[in-house]
Amino acid sequence: MITPALRKPPSKQRRTAVQIETAILVGFLFGVSIYLVLMKSFVRILFGFVLLSNAANLFLLSMSGDPSGKNAPIIREGGLPVDPLPQALILTAIVISFGVTAYLVVLLYRLFLDQKTTSAAELFREETESENGGKR
Amino acid sequence: MASAILLLLWRKPSKSRRILGMVVTGFLTLAAVFTAIDLAANATRLVLNLGAWSAPLGIVLVIDPLAAIMLSLSGFTALTCLIYAVFEGTPKAEHPLRIPLLFFLLTGINLSFITGDLFNLFVAFEIMLISSYSLLTLEADDRNVKHAFPYLAINLVGSTLFLIACGIAYSVFGSLNFAHMASQSSQVLENPLLPALAGLLMLVFCVKAGLFPLYFWLPNSYPILATPLGAFYAGMLTKVGVYVLLRLLTTVMPHELNYLHQLLAWMGGATMIFGVIGAVSRHYVRGILSFHILSQIGYMALAIGLFTPLALTACVLYIIHHIIVKASLFLVGGTITCLNGTDDLNRTGGLWKATPVLGICFLLQALSLAGIPPLSGFWGKFLIFSEGLAAGEYVLVAAALIAGILTLYSMLKIWLGAFWAPAPESGVRLDDPRWKPLTALISSMALVSLAIGLGVEWVFRIANTAALMAMDQAGYTRAVFEVLGKGGL
Repeated sequence: MITPALRKPPSKQRRTAVQIETAILVGFLFGVSIYLVLMKSFVRILFGFVLLSNAANLFLLSMSGDPSGKNAPIIREGGLPVDPLPQALILTAIVISFGVTAYLVVLLYRLFLDQKTTSAAELFREETESENGGKR
Repeated sequence: MASAILLLLWRKPSKSRRILGMVVTGFLTLAAVFTAIDLAANATRLVLNLGAWSAPLGIVLVIDPLAAIMLSLSGFTALTCLIYAVFEGTPKAEHPLRIPLLFFLLTGINLSFITGDLFNLFVAFEIMLISSYSLLTLEADDRNVKHAFPYLAINLVGSTLFLIACGIAYSVFGSLNFAHMASQSSQVLENPLLPALAGLLMLVFCVKAGLFPLYFWLPNSYPILATPLGAFYAGMLTKVGVYVLLRLLTTVMPHELNYLHQLLAWMGGATMIFGVIGAVSRHYVRGILSFHILSQIGYMALAIGLFTPLALTACVLYIIHHIIVKASLFLVGGTITCLNGTDDLNRTGGLWKATPVLGICFLLQALSLAGIPPLSGFWGKFLIFSEGLAAGEYVLVAAALIAGILTLYSMLKIWLGAFWAPAPESGVRLDDPRWKPLTALISSMALVSLAIGLGVEWVFRIANTAALMAMDQAGYTRAVFEVLGKGGL
């Protein structure tokens, strides 16, 4: 396994050069996803969470540093490879968030079936009216 | 984990499946307890390179005394919850996926205790969280399912933040292996990203542990669980957050992050107070107990925040005490529901006359939680107080004392409501055959807790070794890098 990052002598400071466009994009995605998550409609909350995981994955990708002048991390390609470790992390993270998103979809669907509403504000409104009998 | 898959294949809920589950957890507990005692006596660590790739290229599993203690506790809690579930209902009544999911949960929890790699910790956390989401809504009725949603949402955000923190950690440290990160602690102190990273990691696990002000998901979502599951969640899940905080702040991060430790101590203090005030406000047993988890977590956070070796020992001691006591208190709550038909303290009663044994057990555990000597809760609290006074944190110690008094008060609420109040019109359901074995189980847990309280000298030694070895970054690094494998650096 070629991991050039680990061959650096430990006394040097590590600086990850992140491209400015990526940084702005990540910030924008996070902002949009948090905004969506705080909305009332279930569908928008769902989209917000999906975008949130996308934003995090993009952030991880940017942690491998500036890709200009570097090649893909394939052995035969030669030249200076991009750091492949964050890409492995992203793969795992994508799979995990896929599972959680699936669960989230089904939970929201079940909430829709039970409460007959797709608005998150409605979910907890009846909660406050029947405090006593609601809890087991 | 193999047992989880086995149980999954064995789909029909049957008695033999439960027996397999209990045997496995019993074995796990015994193995972990012996490992803990052995490791603490010899002050060593067990290191396993997964796939024989040596660190820092491969993923390492490390069991040091702290991890072994946590493993034995998780095994013990799972065992008692399984036994409780066996006595509580027939195999047909429970959901067929409950035991496999519980084992997946256990897998995630155990993996997060023993992993030596930050991203593996993320994976373990996700295993744990997804199993906990599924278990939460598995048997919840329609009215209660919506309480799972805040739990899900905040844990999703927490996971995303964890992922970001992994990325930043990779950028700061150059690897995600704990030992490798520990060996670089002195060099990374100048890196401006380090406070951000440490703060972010702390935030993630404060959410998981349930510290102020991020604990709002806990008191609403834990009561919807069936009793044995609720006991397991209450005992273990938040403690995983505390354990990871402990592990990261002592073994991985440089020890000089004083401002973060201060912040943690103050958050702990606030959690203590708010948790206990919340506990006093609820009037059904599980609600009170859920809020209690928060205030006790506050004690543990305070102990970590004080960050002296003795304070960390106090934290470990407190974790040991709290997991057992909290789980057994939840089981007591379940038995109260079983006997009285309801959770609501306004409608329970008459249990002291009916089952004095249950009353004594509850009393022991409740007083232990409040911190009465010589029960197990006292020693942890005493150490925290003495360390806090030594560090000069008078406000926090005062807050801890107030929280202790209010804990006693809220426990009194349960006592008066359920045990000393006159029996309700529906009467106490003594003809229900379930309460006898349940009470027996709870008494054995209370006995374990009593033994810890009376034999605390011995437990203290183990906890002290665990805390000291957790702080010993050089020893940890040496132990991990010693084990050679492919691609050795």
